[in-house]
Amino acid sequence: MTHSLTVDRALVVISFKRRLAYKSHWFFGLAIGGGSMLIAMVMWQNLIGSGTLSGYDWDSMRAYTIIGFVAATMVFGAADWVMADRILDGHIAVDLTKPVDFQRARAAEYIGSMLSTFPTAVMGVVAAWLLFEPPGPASPLAGLLTLVSFALMFPLAFGLTYLSTLVCFWTKRYMGIMWLREALLSFFSGLMIPLAFMPGWLQAVAWALPFPHFTTTPSAIYLGRVDTLGALGLLAAEAAWAVGLWALGWLVFRTAVKKVTVHGG
Amino acid sequence: MPILEARALTKTFRRPDKASGFKGAVKHLMQRKYKNYTAVDGIDLSIEPGESVAYVGPNGAGKSTTVKLLTGILRPSEGTVRVMGRDPHTERIANAHDIGVLFGQRTQLWWDLPVEESLKLLKHMYGVSDADYKARIEKFDELLDLGEFMPALARTLSLGQRMRADLACALIHDPKMVYLDEPTIGLDISVKDRLRAFLRELVNDGTTLLLTSHDLADIEEVCERIVVIDKGAIAYDGSIERLKAHYITTKAVNLYLEGAANVPELAEKFPDYEWTAGEAPSEVTVTYESSRFTTAEVLGSLTAQLAPRDLSLSEPSIEDVIRRLYAGELTK
Repeated sequence: MTHSLTVDRALVVISFKRRLAYKSHWFFGLAIGGGSMLIAMVMWQNLIGSGTLSGYDWDSMRAYTIIGFVAATMVFGAADWVMADRILDGHIAVDLTKPVDFQRARAAEYIGSMLSTFPTAVMGVVAAWLLFEPPGPASPLAGLLTLVSFALMFPLAFGLTYLSTLVCFWTKRYMGIMWLREALLSFFSGLMIPLAFMPGWLQAVAWALPFPHFTTTPSAIYLGRVDTLGALGLLAAEAAWAVGLWALGWLVFRTAVKKVTVHGG
Repeated sequence: MPILEARALTKTFRRPDKASGFKGAVKHLMQRKYKNYTAVDGIDLSIEPGESVAYVGPNGAGKSTTVKLLTGILRPSEGTVRVMGRDPHTERIANAHDIGVLFGQRTQLWWDLPVEESLKLLKHMYGVSDADYKARIEKFDELLDLGEFMPALARTLSLGQRMRADLACALIHDPKMVYLDEPTIGLDISVKDRLRAFLRELVNDGTTLLLTSHDLADIEEVCERIVVIDKGAIAYDGSIERLKAHYITTKAVNLYLEGAANVPELAEKFPDYEWTAGEAPSEVTVTYESSRFTTAEVLGSLTAQLAPRDLSLSEPSIEDVIRRLYAGELTK
């Protein structure tokens, strides 16, 4: 293993361990995420009944809701404020004295914190599977490509979060940025309601943004709402966003680091 | 060739110019006004390998800002820095390999994890070999008693333990150039003594050290050279010995007389010395110019004529000199 990869792994592991230090974090993650999932299930069952809504029947909606739960657990359970706080309280000074690329190190830490949501996601999915018996993937290949979509969520979530925490260099506050990002993500990912329920123009707005890949892309692939070629197209778009946001993050940091002002010691 | 060289180093910050109160806040929202202030103003500094330099100044003088410029955290507004031939800001990662930094007021430990985890992470970051890591940890344990809190969570450490752990973090890769920004802040005397002994050892081993502190004992015990900065500019740069020789031109004797001291009368009797009343009525301090009189002469004449109950010599203190430097009484 090259030296850089050893450092990445060390950062992933230490960040994971930090989250391990707070077991209550898992419990609350499961309670909040699982609770939201249960409410969504009850609501969709009531709304859809034995009919269909924009192409979703109760069977597919159960799978959709579970996929939404996994995406939400991964992205909302990660340690975004740790990154923001270090910029705001000046600890970034310490990070900048380390012989590692700043963005890459933060990515490794962030991915470590995303991985720490794994037990929550697994417990939630197992429980939901037992309770609701959702349908399996449209095909084995669809199942596999769904996993690829989840894997791409790691760099994508990092890209979005990193960019939004870099905004703290200018705003000196994080709360509002976090709310904005989470609201946009909840709405345009299809986490709150499937994008298919929205008017055409709003769907077009959503698909011009990176957010649909947090629920709509994996669920469309899983349920076979797109064919293999369509699935590959969605995954290519998801990957392109991850790469694009990484590049944008790199550019923004280059400007931001010139603005670093760490006062008082 | 110097290990560190700064030329005309300047850092200007932009600060919002806001009137106080609600009206001021609204006005600032409508019409943003900023004021520039210069934290570091054209500093020239050159440090040779193996030197131990104290960087001293009152609060807000620009000490920490200078350290952040020298370590590559901040980008200079003007001027240049070269550390081992590199620009520490644009070649940040390469520079970071060769330097060690401690910010007394900010920990680099992972707060929720055992101290050992932070050190192991740094081992990976700096690519320290297993053998070197083990040897250094053993040495730190010997000198700083690191072992007793290696398994403890960083957030449960006392301030003294935290500082010792942070020092180990700053030095785990055996850096050539070390910057310590207030390493003894908030520590008790015994921990300070240990830290100073450790730093002396570090300097003896040939590490180049730049240390900022408000504690003048840190400076006298660890460093040979002192740079005094005030209002962003260097007020003095030279050896501590020279500073003393140059600026400590007087010495003092405290006398404890049998009865109450009559200061005006004594001043008339010994016009060559300066007389000031002490804390108790029978105490009096005699100040004399060290270039004109030897201590033996002074003591001889005073004991012969006044027969004091007791006496003590006041050691010349660098603290007084620096206080006067800050106050602008002294010039280069």
